[in-house]
Amino acid sequence: MRTEPTRIRSLDDPEVLVQTPATIYDAVPPLTPRTEREAEFYTLGDGEMFVNLGPQHPSTHGVLRVVLKIDGERIVDLDPVLGYLHRGVEKICEHGDWHHAISNCDPLEYAASMFSEALPVLAAEKLLGLEVPRRAEHIRVLVWELNRIASHALFIGWLALDLGGLTPILYGFTERDEIVEMLAALTGQKLLFNYMRIGGVNGDLNHEFLSRLGDWMGRAGKHIDGQATLMNENEIFVNRTKGLGVIDRETALRLAMSGPPLRASGVPYDVRRAHPYSVYPELEFDVPVRSEGDSYARYLLHIEEIKQSLRIIDQVLQRMPDGPVMAKLPRLLRVPPGRAYIALESPRGQYAAYAISDGTDQPFRFRIHDPSFFNLQAVGLLTPGHLVADIMAIMASLDPIMGGIDK
Amino acid sequence: MRTDRVPGLALVKGMWFAFRQVLRPKVTVQYPEVLNDIAPRHRGRLILLYDEAGTLKCETCFQCAAACPIECIDMGGVDTRNRYHVHWGPAEQYAERREESAMRRSGRPVPDRTFDPFGSIDLAPLDAILAAEGYRPRRSLAILERTQEVYGHLPVAALQHVAHQTGAGYSELYGIASSYPHLRFEPPGSHVVRVCRCTQCALLGGGRVLAAFCEHLGTDVGGLSPDGAVRLETTDCHGESSGSPRVEVDGEILPRSSVEDAVRIAAALRANVPQGQAA
Amino acid sequence: MSSLSDPWKHLSTSGKIILPLVALLVLGTVALTVLWVVGIGPQVMQGLLDTAGANIGILRFLAAATGVLLFTVPAAFVIIFMELKIIAFMNLRIGPNRIGPWGTLSSTIHGLKVLAKEDYTPSGVDVPVFTLAPAVVYLAAVLTLLVIPFGPGMLGYEMELGLLYFFAVGGLGVIGLMMAGWSSFNKYSLLGGLRAAAAIISYELPLILGVMGVVLLAGTLNLGTIVENQSGWFLNWYAFQQPLALIIFFIAATAEASRTPFDFTEADSEIVAGFATEYSGMRFGFFFFAEYVNVFILSALTVTLFLGGWNGLFDIDPLLEAVGIATPVSLSLDIASLGPWLMAIPVLVLPILVMGLTALVWMVKSSWGFLVSLIVGFVLANLLIVGALSIWALFSFDALMGITWFLGKSFALVALFVLMRATFPRVRMDQLMGFAWKWMMPAALLNIFVTAGAILIVKELAG
Repeated sequence: MRTEPTRIRSLDDPEVLVQTPATIYDAVPPLTPRTEREAEFYTLGDGEMFVNLGPQHPSTHGVLRVVLKIDGERIVDLDPVLGYLHRGVEKICEHGDWHHAISNCDPLEYAASMFSEALPVLAAEKLLGLEVPRRAEHIRVLVWELNRIASHALFIGWLALDLGGLTPILYGFTERDEIVEMLAALTGQKLLFNYMRIGGVNGDLNHEFLSRLGDWMGRAGKHIDGQATLMNENEIFVNRTKGLGVIDRETALRLAMSGPPLRASGVPYDVRRAHPYSVYPELEFDVPVRSEGDSYARYLLHIEEIKQSLRIIDQVLQRMPDGPVMAKLPRLLRVPPGRAYIALESPRGQYAAYAISDGTDQPFRFRIHDPSFFNLQAVGLLTPGHLVADIMAIMASLDPIMGGIDK
Repeated sequence: MRTDRVPGLALVKGMWFAFRQVLRPKVTVQYPEVLNDIAPRHRGRLILLYDEAGTLKCETCFQCAAACPIECIDMGGVDTRNRYHVHWGPAEQYAERREESAMRRSGRPVPDRTFDPFGSIDLAPLDAILAAEGYRPRRSLAILERTQEVYGHLPVAALQHVAHQTGAGYSELYGIASSYPHLRFEPPGSHVVRVCRCTQCALLGGGRVLAAFCEHLGTDVGGLSPDGAVRLETTDCHGESSGSPRVEVDGEILPRSSVEDAVRIAAALRANVPQGQAA
Repeated sequence: MSSLSDPWKHLSTSGKIILPLVALLVLGTVALTVLWVVGIGPQVMQGLLDTAGANIGILRFLAAATGVLLFTVPAAFVIIFMELKIIAFMNLRIGPNRIGPWGTLSSTIHGLKVLAKEDYTPSGVDVPVFTLAPAVVYLAAVLTLLVIPFGPGMLGYEMELGLLYFFAVGGLGVIGLMMAGWSSFNKYSLLGGLRAAAAIISYELPLILGVMGVVLLAGTLNLGTIVENQSGWFLNWYAFQQPLALIIFFIAATAEASRTPFDFTEADSEIVAGFATEYSGMRFGFFFFAEYVNVFILSALTVTLFLGGWNGLFDIDPLLEAVGIATPVSLSLDIASLGPWLMAIPVLVLPILVMGLTALVWMVKSSWGFLVSLIVGFVLANLLIVGALSIWALFSFDALMGITWFLGKSFALVALFVLMRATFPRVRMDQLMGFAWKWMMPAALLNIFVTAGAILIVKELAG
């Protein structure tokens, strides 16, 4: 019936494909397990069954396939399958210029794409030893914090939507709409901005952007407080998220998590404070930390981070110096050979890149460290033992973006 | 009242908050009656830009198409002196041209249909259509459809004439026409036979079917049969697997195809028997 | 005839059924008319009248059932529209506003869209169970409308055990959900169906126990009598005598209707559409309709039991007499008084009226095409019928006011359901069941004990 157990054959082997009769009874096709873990997972116990939380699903934050082994409502084990959104970004980066890498890396974290654009930019600047004009640095921080607020507004919406509340996501999108419109006035686009350049940013602040920003800053605090009342104390929401998906300090550190999930578990690690870059050392802001480590703590942490971001934007606007917004660079940029590691604090965690340059105008290797990829590991550890409904709450509270996970 | 003392109070507060939002102004923009303001720097418009003098900025330098990592840019244009028509498209079409050049190098005769569309045509019916539509570039699609009704396809001269008369750019019209499958740039042969050349169909015997067609239609791939009644082409994979190579006759996909079917169909087409629903 | 075979080929399956029936209907009408004119009509009619007069009860019931079925569709349409618009307004959006004035015809278009979708049966399903499940769910919802009093004397069928019938029939919906969940060849559906069964059954208990207090106070299961007991000043409503029961009943009703926060059965973000994942087209439409009709009947029941039914806030008759308006003949809408002619009403009047109006509309505005004219004709026919009934009911002011109050209160409660859907996230399965068994049921039992104790004490004190 099946192939001989001694010989490991891939399912892509045409012979195996032809031999295996495809039936409609297999949600998960019978697989010749290649590792011990696979063998353990794909053996069904008594009363257990596989359910695909398939790549097409309303709440897997992108195309993520999770094979659940459930016993009734309780999840016994799970196996995430990644790669549905893999676009070969790192490979494509090697084939273009350092400048092309900016627009190639844009769609990695599409909800807050200024951070993903900044990866090749900061890496190239570090390799070149380039000094970025002060005004450009301030504009970068301003834009980064705006993106952070926009992304967190979406996070609140997604968390509520995955739990069944229909309204908060629309409030989140209303907030994000305003931010994104002002960024469109600044950069020309609303989602994949392509605004960062090696040596600065592409284009100075303009009147439209500043007037929209001023308008919005007057309303932002009240809006966020208002939206928070809808969910912060809502008994149903609190019962669904409190005590759920608790990650303790050691596990979080072992899994190399970063960002809000790490800070909600009690580790006060923020790249802006730990490895300062850009203008952050001169700015005053707090790094919110909580110790419970459950989904509710992560949610509250995101709200506090929005408030801190508003503080940062205030300070940056007050301190904005005059000057050029882009450094002078040769047309054909030859980056000196070397290696560089840069790290950012994106809304999801530590966003890092390791770039190797061989002296030509194309990167030799551009390795991207995405925070969602490491945060998502927690799902596998936390979920077994909970109900099917909880996997949504846990995944949503970790705020994964599949673009970055699959690259 | 503290919401954590009274159970259910937070729920009521939430409901009251949501209810209050009913009275707030709505953020919906009623497109198309109301258009959202577009920032001056917005670069999302899919149009070609003109400078202050009215000249088209795009020089058809193909740099954008070459740089695009996913090859989604398809360009075409006629040079300013009407000498040649250039086309840059996605890689599938590169393969066709490579195939064509490979066949030339192998010594087989390959009909060069490049200059067919460039002949001059009678523009009187086209003028009538333009006058009826009021020379409005917003009616481009209707104009192109009516042009196709008159001429059978969209000759380059017709596109140029429409471009000159309406003020729309040639590339705009080309873009519009190439977006719609029912608009075609080449004259329809009375019959077209298309055989898929993907790996799957090749494994199912597509090569033999194609060779049978070539032999019995008396032409090579891309060419017309000697009496001009049938044109034989190859196509890309469409992802359907029906157990036999995918053969399309005049747009109808045959449920199964084999060498005998190829012989029969070739004879029927050359005898000009209309092929209805495949037998 | 080849000229007919082509159009016949283009009809869908349902078209092939409906068209001959319509033709038969038209021919039957013509034949009856001819018979009448020719003269043997009177004897035929007399014979029919005698038979009908002997079986008036059955005929009245048939009319009531048809009326109930016809009522569910507009009611569901209105509720769907309400839900879309109210949730949109709370989300700072506008909702549907293109079709019809302010989007009012959008539900009709949704209904037509659902009819026009491809209706297929996936391979591997248990075909008879799969096909019957939507019907069971829909019927369970619709049959309960027979015993709800829409106005004074306006019940579909007056039953002494009305409330018991309501819960008995309403509970059949669970079977339908389980049938759907099991027969769809899909694990998501299975999960959804079993969740539905578990949760709905566990909330039946608080639902019914919560109502027992009202039954004790009223002393009867007859819904008409319960409403009449609450007539007069609005403080007579049982809501003021049984507040805890109202809360329990409302929460249990939310769970019964599978509405947020208890909409586990079709948790969009977890198990894509729950038990209805494999259904498409009109089958899904049935589930959809049944859910909204469920919402309506549970609101209607809450209104009937706790909020006074068709009673107004205060008794208006003394006011009217003081002003000088003598309420005319209080002709309650007793359908039995119509006699055997009621046979004609459900069968002939509505289709002919709709077709006539459609033809009229199409002749006036031929650019609209047949389908749009049909919709407009249907709406106009409904308006005409409602208008006629209202004019008739004007001669019976009680009935009109009764219906208005009843529907107003019911739809206000439906709006409350919609408000809850917009604001609350979903409650998890185990929390839901825990809530039902650990909090609602003891509370309902407590309510019964207190009510019974109070009744006894009051009786003792009254001597």
